[in-house]
Amino acid sequence: MRRKGKSRAGALAMAVSLTLGMLTGCGTQPAAEESGEVTITIWHDKEEAVTQVLENALSELEPEAHVVLEKKSDLTEALKMVGNDPKAAPDMYLFAHDKIGVYAEMGILAPITDIIPEEELTAYMDNTIEAATYKGTVYQLPLYYETLLFMYNRLYMSDEEVPATTEELYAYMQENTKGGHYGFVEQHSTPYYAAGWINGFGGYLLNDQGEPGLNRPETEEALTYHKKFADLMPGETEYATVNTLFKEGMAHATIAGPWLIPTVRESGMDVGIAPMPVIDETGTPISPYMGVQGIQVLKNAAEKKPEAVEKVLRALMSDEIGTQLAKASGCAPARESCYEQESVTGDEVVMAMKETAGNAVPMPNLPEMDVMWTVTGTLLTDVNMSGKDVAESADRAQAEALQLIENMK
Amino acid sequence: MSKKNKQTIRLIIVNLFFILICFGVLIPILYAFSVSLNAENSLLGANFSFLPKRMTLQNYKAVFTEKPILLWFKNSMILAVVTLVISLGTGIPAAYAFSRKRFPGRKLILKILILLYAFPSLLSMMALYKLLSPMGLINTKTGLIIVYTGTMAVFALWNMKGYFDTIPVEIEEAARIDGASQFRLVTGIVLPLAKPTIAVTAMMILVYVWNEYIFAINFMTGSDTYTLAAGLYSLQATEMSGSWPVFSAASLVVSLPILIVFFALQKNMTTGLTSGGVKG
Amino acid sequence: MKKQQHTDREKKKIRRETLSAYGQSLPSLLLILLIVIFPIIYTGYISLTNMNVYHWNNYELIGLENYKDALLVFDNGFLTALFVTILWTIVNMVLQLVIAYGIAMLLNTKGLRLRNVYRTLLIFPWAMPGYVSILLWKTGMYNSQFGLLNQWIQKLGGEPVRWLGSNVLAFISCTVVNLWLALPFMITIIDGALQSLDKSFYESAVLDGATWLEQTRYITIPMIKPIIAPSVLITTFTTFKQFDIIYLLTQQVGAKTGADIHTILTYAYEKAFITNNYGYSSAISILIFGMLLVFSMLTSAKSREEV
Repeated sequence: MRRKGKSRAGALAMAVSLTLGMLTGCGTQPAAEESGEVTITIWHDKEEAVTQVLENALSELEPEAHVVLEKKSDLTEALKMVGNDPKAAPDMYLFAHDKIGVYAEMGILAPITDIIPEEELTAYMDNTIEAATYKGTVYQLPLYYETLLFMYNRLYMSDEEVPATTEELYAYMQENTKGGHYGFVEQHSTPYYAAGWINGFGGYLLNDQGEPGLNRPETEEALTYHKKFADLMPGETEYATVNTLFKEGMAHATIAGPWLIPTVRESGMDVGIAPMPVIDETGTPISPYMGVQGIQVLKNAAEKKPEAVEKVLRALMSDEIGTQLAKASGCAPARESCYEQESVTGDEVVMAMKETAGNAVPMPNLPEMDVMWTVTGTLLTDVNMSGKDVAESADRAQAEALQLIENMK
Repeated sequence: MSKKNKQTIRLIIVNLFFILICFGVLIPILYAFSVSLNAENSLLGANFSFLPKRMTLQNYKAVFTEKPILLWFKNSMILAVVTLVISLGTGIPAAYAFSRKRFPGRKLILKILILLYAFPSLLSMMALYKLLSPMGLINTKTGLIIVYTGTMAVFALWNMKGYFDTIPVEIEEAARIDGASQFRLVTGIVLPLAKPTIAVTAMMILVYVWNEYIFAINFMTGSDTYTLAAGLYSLQATEMSGSWPVFSAASLVVSLPILIVFFALQKNMTTGLTSGGVKG
Repeated sequence: MKKQQHTDREKKKIRRETLSAYGQSLPSLLLILLIVIFPIIYTGYISLTNMNVYHWNNYELIGLENYKDALLVFDNGFLTALFVTILWTIVNMVLQLVIAYGIAMLLNTKGLRLRNVYRTLLIFPWAMPGYVSILLWKTGMYNSQFGLLNQWIQKLGGEPVRWLGSNVLAFISCTVVNLWLALPFMITIIDGALQSLDKSFYESAVLDGATWLEQTRYITIPMIKPIIAPSVLITTFTTFKQFDIIYLLTQQVGAKTGADIHTILTYAYEKAFITNNYGYSSAISILIFGMLLVFSMLTSAKSREEV
């Protein structure tokens, strides 16, 4: 009994000391702003190669501005919650352009043109600025953009065999999909991937008026046509499966994001990159979505720390950053002038994205898009995996999308 | 066949059964273990084997050297211990009162509490944010501790109250006649008898705090404030980046302290009551 | 007169006891009020406003407007989801109790030396964060291309199975994962209860010649019932509310498997929460909450559980 009493007292002492430790360690707010120094916090969800480049460039702003890049999981959800709360919200965030509609409507974003004169934005590729514009206002300073790419494993598919059209691709798939091998795989029931086919047929998930187009004839045609490709692909469509199939040499070709390239090269694959196949029916190549990664400024920061915000934005506008990002992580810079640099034009991946970007459609940035991902996902699953009737499923999905959009307001 | 032989055979069968079932239960964890030893960054692969072809301990090294895992561990420890102390400190008296005392509102409160469990918590985060933010508790451990203790309070109260109910009042009454004070009564008699339920409740709270990540990533900013679960969540490989082996290694490392606590608490859960203690 | 005094004293005693009871439970109740009840009230308040993407900070009270829209969600799909949810709860609870009881009984086999080792291993799944476990099952076990289950089946010469692809199979697969996640707690609870039983009852029962089945039915179960009842009740609610397992295994955007099983929560999520319309989603939450209240009142009225 005595021994027990002692150990209990010990536990209590430990608890008390830990409580004290917690209380003293509680208020650990970001380091207090020293005289004249302004801290700018940027949330992001990027890989280290990218943040390293940005950190190096932004460290030159010291001591006037101290920039902190904070990796935030579930960034978009967190932003919806903290909104413009000065105690919890960041000053800026680095993310794809497709959420700016939501945050602009919420009223938490500051127009970029309030800080950087509009003329200076002409240095950017037109479609990146188009992507960054919501209801006539530019809310994002583009850094780089990404599109899906057609890639193939040279071990199985020689450069001559690379299909120029979708029918050639289909023929190749028919020939080579057997014995655990696949001619071609993609995440066929994921909206981001299937959108390339739908766009290539002239259909759309959501137009710029915020109207869904799931049961338009073009979209339905695309779904029907795309289905025959999906039939020759595995039933499992999430990214780990699809990428592993390609990486392990069980799939000869794929359409995937540029981020896959470093991993497959690391595993020793001789990976080739080709232009998107042209859809025979329409004469248009598969036209994937383009995502523009850039900086959004929160209203609060634009009001309270205008000088520091401008300094950060200007630092990020240099060509230097674009070329460094291209080199570090194969990002395609958004500034036109970067493509005069040899280090950029010499990069196969970047140039392939630049070419694809010619046909690519910027992801819609309207708030309505938030519900379209889920509805379209269900539609694609119904058609490709459950084998349901295209027209019927499309009508149902369209009705559902309209209903959900109605309920957003 | 003698009785002894029969017993031995039975024991062998039971042991075999447990070996099989333990292996079955552990398969997904062995899978994670295998991924964590793999030198290649992949979660999947054809021809899986529990020992990867290219084995390495590099991923475990990476967990400890490249990630601030000790800092996260410290954060988790602080949260877990403080939450545990507060939960039990508030839960035991409340459970005792609800079990032993008869007072107006008792039944109603108990009923309401269990019904509250039915509320889908998907939306409560926003509300809690609105509650904590004006008090300046966002981005503080205090805020998280309040959320955690509050979340577990219903469970703590209900679970321990239920167990207290099964301890016969007569034991306490006898002690009361002997002149024991209320405090002596509870600490000297009731608590030792209730050890199993306290251990289970403590485990439940501990596991909850240890594995909770949604509040931790949303209410805390900056990777130096992360708990283990939140840090682990941020390590999760995404389409674009990350390493599955490091993530798997980290998952196992994170679970280890809990397992040790489980093992340590075992004897508290078994001692229970001496013969004749529990109500028949 | 004397009687009057007596009741006065009684009253005083009751008052004193009430006061001390509330005093003792105040901190706990206060925490619950803050963290559990406040969000519900707040959700109720938001459900009466038009808080959404377009009125984020300037939302205003709009009365029962949202409830009118929300009622549309309670369509046929919702009824199916409700049925699935109830089935899910019953199947999972029954299996959990039976399996946990069986394992706990065996753990208490006389002379089982490695009991603590087995028990620690069996509760390992509990120590892992839920999302990690679900990910492991989804990709490690069930994946139709690379999952362990299919690799084994193929080694034995069978055809690969799409575990999460069709409704019934997906339901079973989700149940397995839920059992895997939930059994450790249930085993612990039942094992703890068995441990605290008075062995002398059995001795006299054995003397009376009772069979194992009779012992189980007339001694063990009645005796552990009051001990495990609160935990079982709480687990029932958690099972009913389970969202992650079914959503992450079958419905996650970008990784839908083709199975169309929805519980009321995943259904409400896809029909409402993704709209970012907080007023509307709150109205749906409140309605679901109301339904659960009715549901639990019905069940608690039936169970003779003494509160």
